[in-house]
Amino acid sequence: MSKNKKSTFFDKDSAFKYLVVGSSLVVVIFFAMIFMMLLVRSYPAMANDPLMIFGSNWDVAAGIFGGAPAILGTLVSSAIAVLFAIPISLAVAIFFTEYAPRRIRTGLSVLIDMLATIPSVIFGIWGLWIIAPLVKTHIQEPIVSSIGFIPIFSGPAYGLSLFLASLVLTFMIVPIISSLSISLLSSTPVELREAMISLGATRWEVVKHVALPFSKPGIFAAIILALGRALGETMAVTMVIGNSFVWPFSSPSIFSPASTITSKIASELYEAIDVLHVSSLIELGLILLVITLVINSIARLIATRVSKRSGYT
Amino acid sequence: MAIKLETEKLSAWFGKKQVLKDVSLAFEEKKVTALVGPSGCGKSTFIRCLNRMHELNPDGRVEGKVLLDGENIYGMDPMDVRRKIGMVFQKPNPFPNMSISDNTVAGIRLSGEKSKADLEEVVERALKSVGLYEEVKDDLKRSGTSLSGGQQQRLCIARALAMEPEVILMDEPTSALDPASTSRIEELIRKLRSEITVIIITHNVGQAARISDMTAFLYLGELIEYGDTKEFFESPKSPITERYITGRFG
Repeated sequence: MSKNKKSTFFDKDSAFKYLVVGSSLVVVIFFAMIFMMLLVRSYPAMANDPLMIFGSNWDVAAGIFGGAPAILGTLVSSAIAVLFAIPISLAVAIFFTEYAPRRIRTGLSVLIDMLATIPSVIFGIWGLWIIAPLVKTHIQEPIVSSIGFIPIFSGPAYGLSLFLASLVLTFMIVPIISSLSISLLSSTPVELREAMISLGATRWEVVKHVALPFSKPGIFAAIILALGRALGETMAVTMVIGNSFVWPFSSPSIFSPASTITSKIASELYEAIDVLHVSSLIELGLILLVITLVINSIARLIATRVSKRSGYT
Repeated sequence: MAIKLETEKLSAWFGKKQVLKDVSLAFEEKKVTALVGPSGCGKSTFIRCLNRMHELNPDGRVEGKVLLDGENIYGMDPMDVRRKIGMVFQKPNPFPNMSISDNTVAGIRLSGEKSKADLEEVVERALKSVGLYEEVKDDLKRSGTSLSGGQQQRLCIARALAMEPEVILMDEPTSALDPASTSRIEELIRKLRSEITVIIITHNVGQAARISDMTAFLYLGELIEYGDTKEFFESPKSPITERYITGRFG
């Protein structure tokens, strides 16, 4: 039978195979090229002093390039943003799927999707002009004057700060987590919802015992996706974080201006002339890449465990 | 004969489409009543009105009364109604994120915290009453979905029985099961009749004849005939009923 199917001069099937394999190779090659570029360009800094990048002082004139504040700024601002975004996004998603009347659902979902597509520079401008003054007078100043004795909440209350950057990042990732959570919660099988309802469950109990457990692995993946977005976000953060190495070593307060890896690179790379300065910035980029890779792999591991344990595989 | 549950001029709609028309039907206590009729005749909608599930559909609307021991359930808290009137669905639907024992007490847990020992006792009693205990007692921590289809459906019946409901509604509980599992569940329903009021929808006229005390025939949203199962099958009063039970349509 198969003998009849002689391969012709141009076998469509194997042509397709080469196309697919070839395209996948392109992805691998791209990634390797980026990684190589970062390694090569950061080599001068690593050869000079491999541990210098983890120091706390960044002084271009003195030739000292310690990037710890930027590395910590990246990790802490993204972590705070995710912590803020999780409850807000889940509340939005649960309201949307379980409580919102059908009439307002369409409008709400268009709105959430639109929020997710707003360019980050717009978030930056908005954070700078609208949110910064509001946060300064209504959040930072009251907190500083009441519990400012706790070092991480101490003053003075600058507008541009690590806290503001975290807040702007929160607004940027809430649409991601909520829109994914909405599709997960609404794909909860009807027969499971009805089983719970028939046992006398309230709406909230259906969410808690059926919809959330069903969506848990996916929501977890959505959070990691959002974390990746927050870690890599450049434009909006650069505009609102203050780009200073005050935090965390000179002042541990989250209301101090700070910097992230991305804001550091974005604000200094084009002015950098010194080889060591350039390669230290590239080395920070390499560290950011490694951080995101590590977080993604951990997330993958945990996500498979969570989905196995939840019974929804 | 005591009447446990009774509908008075029960009508139901999906949007503008009326699917039940003035159905008045009285269910006797501790009897098995079968609801038969061709697909789309309103059987499922009818029993979903009996535990206030129909109104959960955004287009669903109900008129008329459903009296549980003489009290209209449409004046009661729907959660209370569903605790008193349990339901078993067409497709077995144990909760995949819960073990066999957690599935069994899922409803009990909702109505307040109970001690671990109490819950264990409920698990054992409920699983024994559906004949599942001996089969699963060594591994109650296993996921409910790891069981076979027939076992899953018996687990779902156990979950409903654990609530100690006064009435249990079954919507074609055996239609997704193989013949052996089906006969086990039929046996179970016959056993239940001395303890609880059972209302069961079935597509299978033979099943209605085997397990029920009373049979009601619905056609195009209307109640055509209702009576003692034996009489229903031996001497149907309505010509439509006769045509249905002899398999000439449906």
